[in-house]
Amino acid sequence: MWIDVAQTVFDGLMVGGLYATVAVGITLVFGIMGILNFAHGQMVMLGAYIAFFAVTAGFGFWVGLLLAMVAMGLFGLILERLIFRHTLTDHMTGLTVSLGIIMVVENLAAALFTPDHRNFDPPLSGSVQVLGITLSAQRLLVLVLVMSLVGAFYLFLQKTSFGKAIRATGQNRTGAALVGVQITQITALVFVLGSALAGAAGALYGSLFAITPYMASGPLMKGFILTVLGGLGSVPGAVLAGFLLGLAESFGSRYFSAAFNDGYGFILMIITLLFFPTGLFGVRGKARV
Amino acid sequence: MNSAAQPLAQTHEAAGKAARVPATPRLALLAYWLPVAGWLMLAVLMVVPAIGGSRYLLYLGTLIALQAALATSLNLVMGYAGQFAMSHAAFYGFGAYASALLVGSAGLGFWISIPVTMLLAAVLAACIGYPALRYTGGVHLALITFAFGELARLLAANWHSVTGGPMGMRVLYSPEPLLGFNFANSRGLYWLAAGMLLVSLLVVFLVQRSRFGRALVAVREDEVLAAFLGINVVGHKLAAYVMSSMMAAMIGTAYAPFMSFISPELLNAHETISLIGVLIIGGIGTLSGPIIGTLVFFGIPELLRLAQLYRLVILGAVIIVGVLFMPQGIAGLIRQRLRPWTRVAGAATADAIKR
Repeated sequence: MWIDVAQTVFDGLMVGGLYATVAVGITLVFGIMGILNFAHGQMVMLGAYIAFFAVTAGFGFWVGLLLAMVAMGLFGLILERLIFRHTLTDHMTGLTVSLGIIMVVENLAAALFTPDHRNFDPPLSGSVQVLGITLSAQRLLVLVLVMSLVGAFYLFLQKTSFGKAIRATGQNRTGAALVGVQITQITALVFVLGSALAGAAGALYGSLFAITPYMASGPLMKGFILTVLGGLGSVPGAVLAGFLLGLAESFGSRYFSAAFNDGYGFILMIITLLFFPTGLFGVRGKARV
Repeated sequence: MNSAAQPLAQTHEAAGKAARVPATPRLALLAYWLPVAGWLMLAVLMVVPAIGGSRYLLYLGTLIALQAALATSLNLVMGYAGQFAMSHAAFYGFGAYASALLVGSAGLGFWISIPVTMLLAAVLAACIGYPALRYTGGVHLALITFAFGELARLLAANWHSVTGGPMGMRVLYSPEPLLGFNFANSRGLYWLAAGMLLVSLLVVFLVQRSRFGRALVAVREDEVLAAFLGINVVGHKLAAYVMSSMMAAMIGTAYAPFMSFISPELLNAHETISLIGVLIIGGIGTLSGPIIGTLVFFGIPELLRLAQLYRLVILGAVIIVGVLFMPQGIAGLIRQRLRPWTRVAGAATADAIKR
């Protein structure tokens, strides 16, 4: 019995960690730039394709992961310089523009990569036995990678001067500018970081699930649920919500119904919002009218 | 856009000087008669597919009428209340599925299924809208409605026993005759779709002119100020969202017999994004904007015979460029250019009446 539960917990943490990697990028970009980037899911998709092409070209998974992060970071930089810097702090405009980017990127990707499902061989195969639980090695690797990515990112935000500048900008743009933070550089940095995290999430998604040009909406939906659940703009909130959602989904599909898998998170979010209207860790930019 | 706007602005100034002289300038006349001309044009456009014998024209007309009706109903919540609802396609699909199930499996009449579907949609929209709209900013609604839209699509794709899964569902009924009018053929279905468009337009037209509509605009412009004026902000936003979703479900009921096939792709977020693009091209928050946008969005690719894929790429690019450089859209631009003259025109007609 408890082996079953432990297995479910492990699965939940793995999936939750993947969701959290997506959500951290969304919530950070929203917290700092005030832009809800709907095209974040498209970056996950592109990251998965980059990893796929790197692996099939024989460079291996690690190069693919790195390439996905770098390429998406660059893509993010281009988007930020060309488009998003003109819509800073204007929620609705930024959101609408990102919808346009979805249409362009996704349909071009469908034309370029064909809608076929793709897979690449994960770097680790087989399984590991721990205390009688059978764990897939690749899933374990994804969990470790996701944990270290999110952890490293959190330390970066808390400990480095860049991280401090980012947090200061999130708290008060004008105040941060007054004490000498280069706002334009910080927003670019934040967008690049968020996009690189999306690329990494894409490479990890691709090592577990099928890659298609239309895969973006799943991760994006989960990322949005986490963003709301954890509180808009809160990075620790998004991570915690990620693990909560992962556990809810894996327990729900294990003990209730697997067909309704994607619904558990939504119900969890609606119920949470009824009691914590700004999410679990939400403080930003909300006023009751 | 700038090069085109410059000479226009100059003519405005030139005409402005002339306006102080009693003669009514042409632009003022245009400003006065444009709405009338617009309604007449709409009426002509609506009649053409029905009297033209071509089946293709009838099909295209039905499609455009449904899309224009959807854009009009989305405009209520996005354009007037200023709330970002990403669940419009989900409610459209909900309407199609729910009415198909009510008529096909539960054996209800088609015309009874419409209000029942709308009622169900209203309950659903209220359940989603209330937690999402309690706080300012509007971002919560965008996030939650997007998540709901995806969830609805996944449910439609995975719930095999009810919806037929990703392969979709065949619809074998057609609307019963009503008041002696046959709705079972393609011409009848066209009139059904056109009727949906007229109903949506009428609702938005009445809302726009009502106290409720002006309160919505106040909420859109400044929620805090609106609350200060005694407007129930959450209630108004919620009412706009529920109304708009109900209308989407109503239009969905016409989709099912028209296509005689429903698939989960109907609920795709792309459909909602296309509608938002249509609103932006046409002019958000204007009565004619959604119709102009739909005609542009459907008309131009149809003329150029573009593939669906590139049509969407171009629409995406148009959304980006439009939001950055022409956020008021075509109808908004026309209104903005003609606004100085509407008052002159009003005064001139008043003079004419006095004489």
